Amino acid sequence: MECEESLPLLSEYHAGALDEPTRNGVREHLGCCPPCDDVYHDVETIVASASSLREEEGISFPDERVVWQRIQFS
Amino acid sequence: MTKGQNMSAAEINETATETKPKVTDFELAERSAAGDREAFEQLYHRHFRRVFALCLRMTTNPSTAEDLTQEVFIHLFNKIGSFRGDSAFTTWLHRMTVNHVLMYFRKSSTRSELLTMEGETPVQIVRGTENQDKMPIVDRIALEKAISELPPGYRSVFVLHDVEGYEHEEIGRMLGCSTGTSKSQLHKARLKLRDLIRRQAAQN
Repeated sequence: MECEESLPLLSEYHAGALDEPTRNGVREHLGCCPPCDDVYHDVETIVASASSLREEEGISFPDERVVWQRIQFS
Repeated sequence: MTKGQNMSAAEINETATETKPKVTDFELAERSAAGDREAFEQLYHRHFRRVFALCLRMTTNPSTAEDLTQEVFIHLFNKIGSFRGDSAFTTWLHRMTVNHVLMYFRKSSTRSELLTMEGETPVQIVRGTENQDKMPIVDRIALEKAISELPPGYRSVFVLHDVEGYEHEEIGRMLGCSTGTSKSQLHKARLKLRDLIRRQAAQN
């Protein structure tokens, strides 16, 4: 498998959604192509980091009483 | 010694509050639907932060997120009678919020921004001579900044899938596109984010 074939498949490869021959093809390509392997590593990192955004820590919330007042007068 | 001896009034009150069964969202929704404004206010305070945080993740704009949060609760007030308890109230409200933000994207754009058109923002794969090292752990601020720079179409799919945990089939239904398009947009969004994060890192 070449880079051009492998790159569009990396998210599906990460999701485990490829059929076995395609999955093996991507795996073999990543094993011998450091640039594509770097892209795959970065995709993994981004996906792993994304779930942390669900935490409310660090968010600056507006005053909910003020918003409630506005809702009441709408 | 009977319970309550040597306890302050505040402590007794606190104990009573702790043991009092919490009114469920479903009960509050039923009471709200029957016109009980206090019940609706309780629901509002219970879910305000969750709704605002979701609006903020999808829009990346605090002011817009605040306006949308207000609108979501007004919409909720009008629709509360249609909540049947088939799913958890939080799930129902989450979906209502997502739909409301997507509707906002539709209205606020002269053309559909719900999907980022093929070729509109070509993804540049950072390869070759530039920064071959693997990306370290992405800190939240860097990721949020990069997400805010995504075209709305990519951002919607990325946030719905990778942050909120929706499946492609459901995203397709919400956005009015095929499952394959959702998958394709997600992959391009991730590659675009990679590009944006690496550019940020190179500037720092």
